Amino acid sequence: MKVSVIGAGNVGAKAVYYIAEKNIADIVMVDVVNGLARSKALDFLHAAPLRGYEVRIRGTTDFAEIERSDVVVITAGIARKPGMDRMDLLKTNVGIAAQAAREIALRAPNAVVIVVTNPLDVISMVVLRETGFALRKVVGMAGVLDSTRFRWFIAEKLGVWPGDVQAMVLGGHGDEMVPLTRYTSVGGIPLDQLLDTAGIEALVKRTRTGGAEIVSLLKTGSAFYAPGASVAKMVEAVIKDERRLFPASAYLRGEYGFRDIYLGVPVVMGRNGVERVVELPLADSERKALDASAEAVRRGLAELSTVMGEKA
Amino acid sequence: MAQVSIIGGGNVGANAAFFIAEKGVTDVLLVDIQAGLSRGKMLDIMEAAPIRRYRNFLSGSDSLDDIKGSEFVVVAAGAIRSPGMRREELFTVNASLIRSLAPEIARLTPESIVVVATEPVDSLTALFTRVSGMPRARVLGLGGILDSTRLRALIARELGVSMEIVSAMVIGRHSDDMICLPRYCSIAGVPLPLLLPPEKIAALVEETRTAGDLVVELAKRSSAYYAPSAAIAELADSVHMNLNRVFSVSLILEGEYDVTDAALSLPALIGSRGAARVLTPELTPHELAILHESARKVAAAVKGDPAPASARNVGSRGATR
Repeated sequence: MKVSVIGAGNVGAKAVYYIAEKNIADIVMVDVVNGLARSKALDFLHAAPLRGYEVRIRGTTDFAEIERSDVVVITAGIARKPGMDRMDLLKTNVGIAAQAAREIALRAPNAVVIVVTNPLDVISMVVLRETGFALRKVVGMAGVLDSTRFRWFIAEKLGVWPGDVQAMVLGGHGDEMVPLTRYTSVGGIPLDQLLDTAGIEALVKRTRTGGAEIVSLLKTGSAFYAPGASVAKMVEAVIKDERRLFPASAYLRGEYGFRDIYLGVPVVMGRNGVERVVELPLADSERKALDASAEAVRRGLAELSTVMGEKA
Repeated sequence: MAQVSIIGGGNVGANAAFFIAEKGVTDVLLVDIQAGLSRGKMLDIMEAAPIRRYRNFLSGSDSLDDIKGSEFVVVAAGAIRSPGMRREELFTVNASLIRSLAPEIARLTPESIVVVATEPVDSLTALFTRVSGMPRARVLGLGGILDSTRLRALIARELGVSMEIVSAMVIGRHSDDMICLPRYCSIAGVPLPLLLPPEKIAALVEETRTAGDLVVELAKRSSAYYAPSAAIAELADSVHMNLNRVFSVSLILEGEYDVTDAALSLPALIGSRGAARVLTPELTPHELAILHESARKVAAAVKGDPAPASARNVGSRGATR
């Protein structure tokens, strides 16, 4: 099995690292910056005897090396600066993702593509169009990250082990995230039996701004450990055909009443990418929040049309 | 109170915390003077905890006082190399940091095992030991363990065997004059010279010697940090669990190979009391000559600083000066 990660910045490199530790595939890391991917691949090799991974990890500037990858992850793009809106990133990152997508279509035509570059729901659409891949083959990573943050905040608040907290989220990444507290549980017990509404609301609010909280603490740079771990989890589900249920950004064809849009929904991830979209019954408030989230993605797609001209 | 404290929230420090979490060793506190930095990085790692199923808690602080009572302290603060720079060139700038940190660490954590990861590792380990007044067994430099790991990876790659069955031994100074000992490298117990011709071994040794330089040269704005921080986590584990694993670590020599007053890497048993025992494998005259020359260089770097603890009153241990 072979996984390629495009972009050797903090998120890309950390994702490579987490995938390496799973010992499930050889990995190629591509970055246009000369030496960057190679330096990190060397460092990973040097740490291998201590960490126990035996897979081959290559760093390169040459897209040709992604040839016949089973999974390709796109992390390349500029990072969000403090106070910067995700939509501000659009122009630059659309260009980067479109180029990566064309390389993937050419060299790894059977790959499942996991998009990480922000704004996630819009970039996923760009990659789908530029690759011309089947709809289920292109999926965006956001919900896994939002839900792991939500899970950690719940675990910290309740003083329980984070592995025992399960959470489901819907909608766009970050501000537009719709947490489904009814489908969030601790050891199987619904969250609303363990925390009052105000307590849950506070954790939801913190989750929505989870990325911004890290950015404001670090001053320079944004989160990469939790994002990298989230990516690796999705890659593993594909490589091992695990059919795990993840919240992820998937192309919708009528599910939840939306068409021709990428939006965070529960999906079953397996060897073919999105094996299916799971439709959950929603409460009125959740329905409203999801509509608002979809509306935000639509605004992003409208901006995309402006950026890409008549092509979009 | 976290049992492991790491000072310096850069790549090495933060990733050491990460690896300690991955290994499930114990709680970690990361300290950095830049407000928010260490808290942000530790929060990011904890947000991965539900996925990675961490069993320990990582936290960040901007106050050195919070390390109080730690059993294991990592010094990962200071300037790093830029391309073309030798590790020794960092001595002046990083030595002043060590001179101010060492007495504070000795005061706040008088019983701790300290690992110095700041470059140049050997002279700063010697300096830390002198200034802190701590016994040499409890001040360890991240030197040979890193070089040994790199050699181990390269041997496994060259032979196409699992890294797990390869062991490698590098001692001496963590610099151009590191001493790779191929006859003490083995593959499932078989000495390396039986499996590879001398010229191939020489090439691996050379690649190990320049491995750190190559990472700096390629990365341009950072130095290696995965291998160093993974090595720190191994040491933390061996100390916390009192495993007495054999690692090549830098420490003040007290007569080993007739060297005193200089810190160099030698294989040692690492447990809850630090380097409980230092091993002295037989060396060739050539290897000994390099070791002695390395010792002179390290001793020269720290000659202006206070005498080692063994030469002073025991009562001065941990005193702030």
